[in-house]
Amino acid sequence: MTPNRVLVTGVSNPLGAEVARRLAGQVPHLFGCDVADPVSALEEMDFVHADTRHAVIGKLIRQLRIDTVVHLAVMIDSPHDERSIHETDVIGTMNVLAGCAAPTSAVRKLIVKSSQSVYGAGPADPSFFSEEMTSHERATSSITRDLLEMEQLVSEFALRNEACTSTVLRLGFRVSDDTTLGRYLSLPIVPTFAGFDPRLQLLHEDDAAEAIVRATLGEHPGVFNVAAGGVVLLSQAIAIMGGRAAPVLPPYGRWLGRMALRATVRIDLPAHLADVIAFGSVTDCARLESEFRWKPAHSSRGVMDALARGKEVELIESPSPPQEYELQVYLQRRRREGRNGANRLAAHR
Amino acid sequence: MIQPTARARRRSSKKAEIVRPAGGFRLPKPVRRLQRQAPLYALQGLGELSLRLRQMTGREVIDLNRIMELVQFIYKQQELARRGPNYTVDEFGFDPEWTESFLPAFKLLYRDYWRVETTGVENVPAAGRALLVANHAGVLPWDGTMIKTALFADHPHPRHVRALVASLFMGMPMLSWFLRRTGQTVGHPDDTLRLLERDELVLVFPEGVRGTGKTFKDRYRLRRFGRGGFVSTAIRARAPIIPISVVGSEEIYPMVGDLPPVARLLGLPYFPVTPFWPWLGPLGMIPLPSKWRIQFHAPVHVEDHPPHAADDQHLVMALSDEVRDTIQQGIYDNLKLRRGVFL
Repeated sequence: MTPNRVLVTGVSNPLGAEVARRLAGQVPHLFGCDVADPVSALEEMDFVHADTRHAVIGKLIRQLRIDTVVHLAVMIDSPHDERSIHETDVIGTMNVLAGCAAPTSAVRKLIVKSSQSVYGAGPADPSFFSEEMTSHERATSSITRDLLEMEQLVSEFALRNEACTSTVLRLGFRVSDDTTLGRYLSLPIVPTFAGFDPRLQLLHEDDAAEAIVRATLGEHPGVFNVAAGGVVLLSQAIAIMGGRAAPVLPPYGRWLGRMALRATVRIDLPAHLADVIAFGSVTDCARLESEFRWKPAHSSRGVMDALARGKEVELIESPSPPQEYELQVYLQRRRREGRNGANRLAAHR
Repeated sequence: MIQPTARARRRSSKKAEIVRPAGGFRLPKPVRRLQRQAPLYALQGLGELSLRLRQMTGREVIDLNRIMELVQFIYKQQELARRGPNYTVDEFGFDPEWTESFLPAFKLLYRDYWRVETTGVENVPAAGRALLVANHAGVLPWDGTMIKTALFADHPHPRHVRALVASLFMGMPMLSWFLRRTGQTVGHPDDTLRLLERDELVLVFPEGVRGTGKTFKDRYRLRRFGRGGFVSTAIRARAPIIPISVVGSEEIYPMVGDLPPVARLLGLPYFPVTPFWPWLGPLGMIPLPSKWRIQFHAPVHVEDHPPHAADDQHLVMALSDEVRDTIQQGIYDNLKLRRGVFL
């Protein structure tokens, strides 16, 4: 099925904006929703202020006769507290799924963003996670539990609605100026856990967007790991960024290390990322390669090099100035009224 | 494309950076020259001393080759430090160049400290996959390092062995970093299969920490070989199993007792008490210079079985016992060949 009316949730975060930009030319009708205003307006996209945490999102999906939902309003690396992350990730996804599952809904395809964090990271873990290796026993951080619960909801939805293809993309860790890991690695002196130098597997922002677009335009039901090939050691990554690794964080008691990081360099490293920089987390992307016939263009090393060059990681050129945004919104509203609001206006008169 | 003029090129080109020496106190020039050339003078002096001693006593007192190996080791370390982030590790985090730089140190232990005698090394294929299965002893896994060194020192085609370690060690600071970087990985069936499918040599100790944590009176008595998981993995990967008997590793730390409460407190599987540890502090961690023998046995060709045989628990346990008996027999044979514990 080729997507006709596509809704992108969480379109205001940089990844959502990039996905919308890439989809704009390829699908006939594109809608975006988020709680915040988009960073830059897109002429081809109709933006709606809608919160996935409320049931209104289901109404939106039905009323707009959406047939493809790209659910990117999933918070993974965010400064919000655990409670609101849980609300967005689990309750938000539940609302979106309820909207997709309604008897009158036309949704035939669902793409959900998840993260490599769903596996957690620990010393006893195998060197590579394949898609089946999630477990509730290993879930030590709240985000891992939330993601597991969210994926559980999606898989239940997929079982009940066979007419709808659902794809879950577990995206690898991204490094850029707006991710915690990116900011952490860019420090001039990087405090690391003493005696640990884990393998990091990263994902370039372009590859993340490309994977989501490919999943939207193609037909790939299932769960997929999406991460760059190869690994880069933490010390290597720090050296590429031109910083110095300072193994000063205590090796035991990761919360202590997180507290120290917050106090000294003002980086609030979430618990799951603290585990990653102690033990590392690497996934096996063989399923992605065989099903999508595509693999991320940048290797983990390449992602680090790109961040160090500081050019290629910049996703959106530069946010358009406010006036331009206002203009775009005005034009959008005019177009919308010109298209489907003509008879409503007539009725008013 | 238009070629830029010389002037444009000059303008756009990056200026050479002038590296200034670090400010502050500097030693006078003659002293610095002496500092730079001191290693050379020391080596010259050692060379003459060794010559004199040989003339006086009629035998090799200072082996210059060994000294040169040590010097090379130090220079190699300096060179590695200079490569910065410009190296690649494989997906398991293995850095071959870095690992090989430690070989001189381990060869010193192998040849001079434990005087390891290795037999049957020709049973290890020069290329292709194989699963090496060995007995495990000694409180710290020195036997793994010696098997790895044996394949570098005595095999006609030196190869890296990738050992599987208990997940416990992967959670330890320093150790986890060193083990991963030198090619070890977690003892997980998936990892084993993956390494074998890349045609690597994989070393496994089926006894696990039960083997290293046994007391001195139980020495050279093999523990249970897990549930034979290594055999199923070998059948699935179609890799031959090469049993290895190691003799001598039991005596490096004669463990007379275990303190389970302390071990529980520190999150360790056992807390050893030897005549020297923990009484002498870090000195107690120095292993004793016992005499070692390593025997590589003829391969057990489990790859002849069809892949579905991996699920046949009866066959798997039978093969596991066969490997265990080979290793146990090899231990007895080698104990007989050894004249004494420290000879």
